[in-house]
Amino acid sequence: MKRVAVIGTGQTKHTKARDDVSQTELVREATTRALADAGITIHEVDAIVLSNMELFEGRALPEMWVGEGAGGYRKPVTKIATGGTSGTSACIAGYHQCASGLFDIVLVVGWEKHSEGATQTGMALTDPLWDRNVASGAVGNFALSISQYVAERGVTPQQAAKIAVKARRNAARNPNAHLQMDGITVEKVLESRMLADPVHLLDMCPQSDGACAVIYAAEDRAKKLCPRPAWVRAAVTRHDQPYIGDLDRRLVTMRTLRDAAREAYQRVGISEPLKEIDVAEIYEPVSYAELAWYEALGFCAEGEAGRLIDDGVTEMNGELPVNPSGGVLSTNPVGASGVIRVAEAAAQVMGRAGDHQVADVRLALATGYGVYAWSDVMILSAG
Amino acid sequence: MTELLRVSHTMTLSWRYGTSWYFAEFIRALRDERRLLGLRCPVCRRVYLPPRVVCGNCYAELSEWVEVKDSGTVRAFTIVHIPIVDPTSGQPRPTPYGMALIQLDGADTTLNHYLAENNPAKLRIGMRVQAVWREERRGTLSDIVHFAAMNNQTMNDEQ
Repeated sequence: MKRVAVIGTGQTKHTKARDDVSQTELVREATTRALADAGITIHEVDAIVLSNMELFEGRALPEMWVGEGAGGYRKPVTKIATGGTSGTSACIAGYHQCASGLFDIVLVVGWEKHSEGATQTGMALTDPLWDRNVASGAVGNFALSISQYVAERGVTPQQAAKIAVKARRNAARNPNAHLQMDGITVEKVLESRMLADPVHLLDMCPQSDGACAVIYAAEDRAKKLCPRPAWVRAAVTRHDQPYIGDLDRRLVTMRTLRDAAREAYQRVGISEPLKEIDVAEIYEPVSYAELAWYEALGFCAEGEAGRLIDDGVTEMNGELPVNPSGGVLSTNPVGASGVIRVAEAAAQVMGRAGDHQVADVRLALATGYGVYAWSDVMILSAG
Repeated sequence: MTELLRVSHTMTLSWRYGTSWYFAEFIRALRDERRLLGLRCPVCRRVYLPPRVVCGNCYAELSEWVEVKDSGTVRAFTIVHIPIVDPTSGQPRPTPYGMALIQLDGADTTLNHYLAENNPAKLRIGMRVQAVWREERRGTLSDIVHFAAMNNQTMNDEQ
């Protein structure tokens, strides 16, 4: 197995509606930016992995329509689908392709144009014999899990709101982010419309149009092409059971993320994640989920997540900044969201994160979340 | 610059999903006998709803049918305030409405269903609820209108 590093990333400006570009053009925008960042041309790319949730746009075979935007002609092109985790899973698949030694340079591109489709309808097309009888949607399902988490851990709406505020203020320093709200406050989050108790509008992620690309290179090429590549140290994915009622206390236990993180930490030799990891880009579709992920990722003991945000530990100037980019709470083109986590973590290691750069990043964590049925964890490092 | 346009497209689609023997038996018992059937794992003894071929934890084949009651315990709840599309009608469901994960008596999984109550102050994790059935059954979960708090037991949690 070869050592592999991220040598370039590229993102579009993420926003509510990119009527000025097609899906193909959106993908081309992210791809050309990643190629420029890596300092290579499309001719040097050996294989391409795509990520998109086509039911949201109602367009079959997106890997065919959009492949040319990623420069896929006469190259191995595949698409990965694991729900919300699709982007991180595509990054893990791209890493596997490169690490196998069969391909030297692999491009991963994820995208979504939520403005084109009926996202709620796409979400409702679940198991026809069981889940389609009940209208709960993503927000309702999250709210159910959150009620258990709140009851067991005692986190408050104010602590969740602090997560939402942190995300949108961080996003104000990220030119690509969708929701940039420098003036957001805890009060404004709590006064925003109630979607499903206890989740307010501003506790929830938006639906965005956007694309993101990541370029991997195998060891020799990475060293030649990039002064400070972001080396992949661990890439772990875990799957779990399908129905909402299958998993006991899903948000509380979150065993896919716990298991994936444990294995990733073991591979890298991390025993105290809060102290050893310099920055984290985690897939937090709702404010409360970020608190639950702190526990699942071992950033704190069970029941301590509220204290972590109260003490500012995960703020930009804290011990472990979480989501300097503004996270999924600020930007959510679903098929791209996982790729954005990996791209942002890599950019932090490479020192290319611009105004939301954290100082002296050597070890960065990226995660993906897919309907509790998947969790992905990647760890990138400078050495 | 040319003005940007959007082209709208609306479709009506239909599907026919096979039930397999598992769901066929579940649907028959629900429709004809108003009984809810789960399947017990021969290894871990966990009782699953909905019915399925395999226990995900043990990868053991499931074949032992177990009757599950139409009463249960609320394990999680919310009040939905946004109009979410009701998959059975294609139209937004009127709000606010209560939802819960209910562990039916005899099952180890929980059921995602509606609550009669939509006042969060009257809901608690651990409260006991009972299914309210429609007069005519078709063999789907929509044969249950919603779950209502059990009489005189709203303040009397499970033991």
